[in-house]
Amino acid sequence: MPTFRRLLGFLRPHRRLLWGSMVFAWMAMGMTVLIPWLVGQAVNAVQDSDQTQLFWMVGAILVAAVLRLVLTVIRRIVAGRVSLAVEFDLRQEVYAHLMSLELGFFDRNQTGQLMSRATVDLQSIRFFLGYGLIFFSQSILTVLLAGVVMFVINPWLALIALAPAPLIVITALRYTRQSRPAMQEVAQRVAELTAQAEESVAGIRVVKAFAREDHQFERFQGAVDRLFDQSIRSTRIQAFFTPLIGALPQIGTALVLLVGGHEVLNGSLDLGQFTAFYTYMLMLAGPLRTVGMALGMGQRAIAAGNRLFEVLDREPRLTSRPDAIPLPEGGGAVSFDSVSLRYGPEAPEALLDIDLDVPAGSRLALVGPSGSGKTSLAALIARLYDPTEGEVSIDGTDLRDLEIPSLRHGIAYVSDDSFLFSDTIANNISYARADATPGEIERAARLAQASEFIEALPDGYETVVGERGLTLSGGQRQRVAIARALLANPRILILDDATSSLDATTEQQIRAGLAEAMAGRTTFVIGHRLSTISLADECVLMDEGRIIDRGTIAELTDRSSLFRELTGGSGDEPLFVPEDEEVLA
Amino acid sequence: MSAERREPTASGSGKATEPREANGHREIVAGRGRKIRWTLGLLRPYRTRIFFMVLAVLVSTGAALAPPYLAGRAIDAGIQTGDISALNLSIALFVIAVIVNAVTSWLQTWLVGWVGIRVLQDLREQVFKHIQRMSIGFFNRNRPGALISRMTNDIEALNQLISDGIVTLFANLLTLFGVVAIMLLLDWRLALVTFAVLPLLLVTSLVFRKYSAGAFRETRERIALITAHLQETLSGVRVVRSFGQEDRHIDHMTELNEANRQANMATVYLNASYFPATELLTAVGTSAILLFGGWQAIEGNIMIGVVVSFVGYLQLFFDPIQQLSQLYATYQQGMAALDKIFTLLDTEAEIVDGPEAIDPPRLEGRITFDDLSFTYEDPEVEAESGEPVRPAPAEPRWAVRDIDFEIAPGETVALVGSTGAGKSTLAKLITRFHDPQEGRIMIDGRPLPDYRQRPLRSQMGIVPQEGFLFSGSIAENIAFGRPDASLEEIAAAADAVGASPFIERLSDGLETEVGERGVQLSSGQRQLVAFARVILAEPRILILDEATSAVDTRTEKVIERALDEVLKGRTAVVIAHRLSTIRRADRIIVLERGHIAETGSHDELIESGGLYAGLYSSWTDSSAG
Repeated sequence: MPTFRRLLGFLRPHRRLLWGSMVFAWMAMGMTVLIPWLVGQAVNAVQDSDQTQLFWMVGAILVAAVLRLVLTVIRRIVAGRVSLAVEFDLRQEVYAHLMSLELGFFDRNQTGQLMSRATVDLQSIRFFLGYGLIFFSQSILTVLLAGVVMFVINPWLALIALAPAPLIVITALRYTRQSRPAMQEVAQRVAELTAQAEESVAGIRVVKAFAREDHQFERFQGAVDRLFDQSIRSTRIQAFFTPLIGALPQIGTALVLLVGGHEVLNGSLDLGQFTAFYTYMLMLAGPLRTVGMALGMGQRAIAAGNRLFEVLDREPRLTSRPDAIPLPEGGGAVSFDSVSLRYGPEAPEALLDIDLDVPAGSRLALVGPSGSGKTSLAALIARLYDPTEGEVSIDGTDLRDLEIPSLRHGIAYVSDDSFLFSDTIANNISYARADATPGEIERAARLAQASEFIEALPDGYETVVGERGLTLSGGQRQRVAIARALLANPRILILDDATSSLDATTEQQIRAGLAEAMAGRTTFVIGHRLSTISLADECVLMDEGRIIDRGTIAELTDRSSLFRELTGGSGDEPLFVPEDEEVLA
Repeated sequence: MSAERREPTASGSGKATEPREANGHREIVAGRGRKIRWTLGLLRPYRTRIFFMVLAVLVSTGAALAPPYLAGRAIDAGIQTGDISALNLSIALFVIAVIVNAVTSWLQTWLVGWVGIRVLQDLREQVFKHIQRMSIGFFNRNRPGALISRMTNDIEALNQLISDGIVTLFANLLTLFGVVAIMLLLDWRLALVTFAVLPLLLVTSLVFRKYSAGAFRETRERIALITAHLQETLSGVRVVRSFGQEDRHIDHMTELNEANRQANMATVYLNASYFPATELLTAVGTSAILLFGGWQAIEGNIMIGVVVSFVGYLQLFFDPIQQLSQLYATYQQGMAALDKIFTLLDTEAEIVDGPEAIDPPRLEGRITFDDLSFTYEDPEVEAESGEPVRPAPAEPRWAVRDIDFEIAPGETVALVGSTGAGKSTLAKLITRFHDPQEGRIMIDGRPLPDYRQRPLRSQMGIVPQEGFLFSGSIAENIAFGRPDASLEEIAAAADAVGASPFIERLSDGLETEVGERGVQLSSGQRQLVAFARVILAEPRILILDEATSAVDTRTEKVIERALDEVLKGRTAVVIAHRLSTIRRADRIIVLERGHIAETGSHDELIESGGLYAGLYSSWTDSSAG
C-alpha cells in the first residue's frame, strides 16, 4: 500500500480540517442512528398510551434532526473544502513538474495521456480523499453503531439481520469494479465515433468529389454499432447489479420480520424493539452499499495515484547546476566541440562529432537533406536537449553552466510549425516580453511583414487566434512567429524553415525586415530555398548527422553536387501562395 | 443524392406536418407538439419492446410499494393479534414482492437501456446521412465543431431525456400516486398530515435544481478551460521552452485552478444546504406522523401498524420528488438539443438533382464557361443560415464575373492569380459544389444541372492541396474512389506516380495505417497518395489544387514526375503555384479580382508584357537576390 500511504500524505496539510469533518460526520451519524431508536420508543409510548412519553420522544426526534442538520452542513462544507484543496495542490504540483521536465520527455509521452493525469486521474483521487474516506468511515461507523444497538437489544436477531451485510458490500464492490471499465470503454467508443464524424465533416469535399458518401456512411455506421454493443454491455451490468443491491437488504428485513415477529409473539421482544430493528434495517441498506462503493473508489484512486506518481517521480533530466551563472555579456559566439546527440539509448545518432565555431554577429545557413541533423543542431543551441557527448558553449561558457531561463531569454527560436497560443495576436507577439509596448509590438510585426494582414483583421492586434480563435494561414502564422522572435530581442536568432510557407513576393519583402533584425545578432537559418539561405554569409552542409562542408553559396554550388541538388537548380519555387482557406479540402 | 431517395426526416411519423416551402425558416423551431410526435415516431419500430418495458415499469413500481404495507400488516394482523399464519403470510408476500421487484427492475433497466440506445443510434445515422447530403456551401457556413456536436453531444442530451427521462417520469409519478393512494386508503387523516410536508420538499428541490444546474455547468466550463490550457501548453511545449516562459504558464494555471476550485465550492455549498435540509424535512414528517398518529392510536382510532407503515412510506416520497425535479433540468437540455437537431434536419440541400437529370455517359471532357458570374453573398444562402434576410445589395461582391471560355478535351489549363482572384471559386463551380447566379457551365455541351451529381463527380478527379487522407491503410486510401480495385491495380497506381519506393520502405507497405488525416505521412507523401488515388479513379476531368508547402527537392522531383502521369490524356484544370507546373500547361488563365485578365502560353504571356510578365519578373528578382 505505499501508493495509498503517499496519497494520504496529500491530506497532511489539511489534517485538522479532515479530522474535524470526520468527527462531525460521526456525530451526525450518531443522530441518524438515534432517530430510529427514538421512533421505536415513541411507538412503545403509543402502545402504553403514554401521551407525555410520546411528546418527549417526538421532541427528541426533532432536536436530533436539527442537530444532524447543523452537523451535516458543516461536515459537507469542510469536506468539500479539503477535497478541492487536495485537487488544487495536486494539480499545481503536477503542472509545475511537467513544466520542469525536459523536451525529450514530451517526445516520448502522448499529450492526451499526460492531460488525463492532470484531469481525470486527479479527480478520482480527489473524490476518494475528499469524500470516499469520509463516506467510508461514516458508513462503517453507522453499521457498527447500529450493529451494537441491535446486539444490545437482541443479539440473536441482530446476527440474523446482519447476515446479508457482507454480501451487500461485496456486491456493491463488484458492481463498482465492473461498471467503471465498461463505462470507460463506452467513453472510448464515443471518442472514436466523434473522430469518425470529424473526419467525415473535414473531408466532405473529398468524399463528395469521389462520390463516396455511402462508403463514409458505412464507416460511421460501424462506429455507431461498436458504440451500441458496448453501451448494451454496460447497461447489462447495471441491469444486473442495481436490482440485486436493492433486493439484498430487503431479504435481511424479511428475516427480521419473520424471526422478530415470532419473538414478539413469544414475548421475548417488545413491539418497540421490533419496530426499531425494522427501522435499522431500512437505514442500513445505504451505508452498506456505500462501504462497497468506497472500496471501489479507493482502488480507482490507487490506480490513478500510481499513474500520477509515475510522472511526479520522473526526475527532470535537464537542469541547471546549483552554481550556474546567468548568460555572461557577449556578442553571441557559438561553438560546438565534438558534439554527438542521440535521442534515446536505442536511437541512432542524430548528430555525430560536430565541431563548429560561429563568431559573434555572423549569419550561418544550415543546409542538408531531411533527417541530416539541422534541426537537432539548432535545438542544442537553445539547450532544448543536452548533447550525449561533447559540449556546446555560448560566448565561451558551457551551456550546462548557465541558468536555463537566462540562456533561453538570450535565444529566439522560430520553428517551421510556428505554434501560436489561443490568445490575441498582440499577446502572441509579446510572448517572450510581456512588458512590450504596443509600439514595439507593431514594429516587430512590420519587420516580419505581418502588420498589413493583422490590421485588416476584424479586431486588428486584439484578434484572438489559435485553436479557439481565428485560423490563420500557414504563411500568416509564420510571420507572427517571426515577429514574436524579433520582439524577444535575442542575442542569437534561429530561423528553422521559418519562411517555408511564404510566397516569393512576401519572402522578398520580409528579407529587408529580417536583415534589419539580424544586425548585431548571431543568426542561424535553416532552409533549402536559395532565397532563404542567401540571408546568410556562409553555409554549412550537413548529411547524416555530420558537417560535410562549409563555405559561401557560390563556393558550395561550385564544388558540391549534393548542395546543388538540395538548393534546387531548377529554381522551382512557389510563385503564388494562396492565403485564404484551402481550396478543395 | 436524388430527391426521391430523401427520407422523411423530421416530419413526424411520415407525413409532412407544416408546409415549409414558403418562408422556410420562420417555422423551423418546432412546436412542442411536433417534437413529441416526432420523438414518438422514432420509438415506433421498437413498440413491442416498449410494451414490455412499460409492463416491467408498472410491475416493478407496484412491487416496490408493497413491502412497507406488508410490514405493517405483519405487525397489525400478525403480531398484534397473535396470528402466526397471518404473520407468515405477510412475510411470504413481502419476500415475493422483493423478488418480483428485483426481476422486473432488471428487465426494465435492460429494456429501457436497449431502446434508448438503439433509437439514438438510429437518430445519429439519420443526422449523419442528412449532413452528408448537404451541399458544400452548407459546410462553409457551419463550423465543423457545431455539426459534429449534432451527432455527439446533442444526441447524448436526448439520450438522457429519452431513456432516463421517460422512465423517471413514469416510474416516479406512479410511485408518488401509489404512495398517496395507499396512504389515503390506510388513513386519510394521517395521510393529509403527512402531505403537509410535500409542498416544502417540492419547493426546496426545485429551487435547488435551478441553482445547481447553473453551478454544475460552471464547474464543467472551468475544467474545460483547464483541459484546454493543458492541451495548448503541452502541444506547444517547444515554444514554451525555447522562450523560457514556464513560470507565466504556471501562474496562468494557478488562476484557472483557483477558478475551478471556486466553481466547485459553489456546488459544495448548494449540496451542503439541500441534502441535509431534505433529511430534516423527513424527520419533521416522521415527527408529525408519530405525534398525530400516536395520539389517534391512543384514542383508539387507528392501529399502531398503520403508524409504522406511514413512517416507512414517508421514505418512499423523497426519492421520486428529488428525481422529478432533476428531470426538469434534463427535459430542458433535451428540448434544447432537439431544437438544434430539428433546425439541422429541416435545412434542405441547396443543390438537388432534378427529376430529369441523367447519368452522364463517358465524358469527352469539354468544359464551357458561358458568361458565368458567381457570388458567395447570395441572399437566399444567408437566409438558410438562419440570419435575418437582408435586402439584396444593389451590386453583390462577385467572386467571379463574366467568365467566358472553353477548355478542349485533353487540354491542361493553369489558373493563376493572387489571393482572392477567383481561382478556387472557378474550380468549385466546375465540380458543382456551388451553382452560379448568372450564366452556366457546360460539360460536353450540356449544362451541369442536366447530370446527376454523384455519377458526374465520379468521372471527375479532384486533388486537394494538402492531400486529405482518411484514417485507414494506404491501400484503402488509394482505392477510395474505386473500392473494387484489386491490390495489383492499387500497386500499379502507386507505381505510376512514383509512390512505391516510399511505401515499400514502410513497415507494412500498402497496408500501413496512415493515422487520422494521414498524420503518419509527410506532406509530400500525402500528396503522392492523393495522386495515386486520383489515377486509380481514372477521371475524365481532373481538378488539381497544387500544394504550396515546401518539401525537399528530391520529393519535389518525384511529385513533378507524378504530375506528368496524372495530367496525361485528360482534361485538367490546375490551380497552379509553381513555375514548373505553370509551364507544363497548354494554356494559362490569369485571373484578377474575378475577371480573366489574360490568357495564353507562358511564352506568349511573357511576350505581351502584362500582369503575368510582371509577376514573373518580380519572382526572378527575388530568387536571384
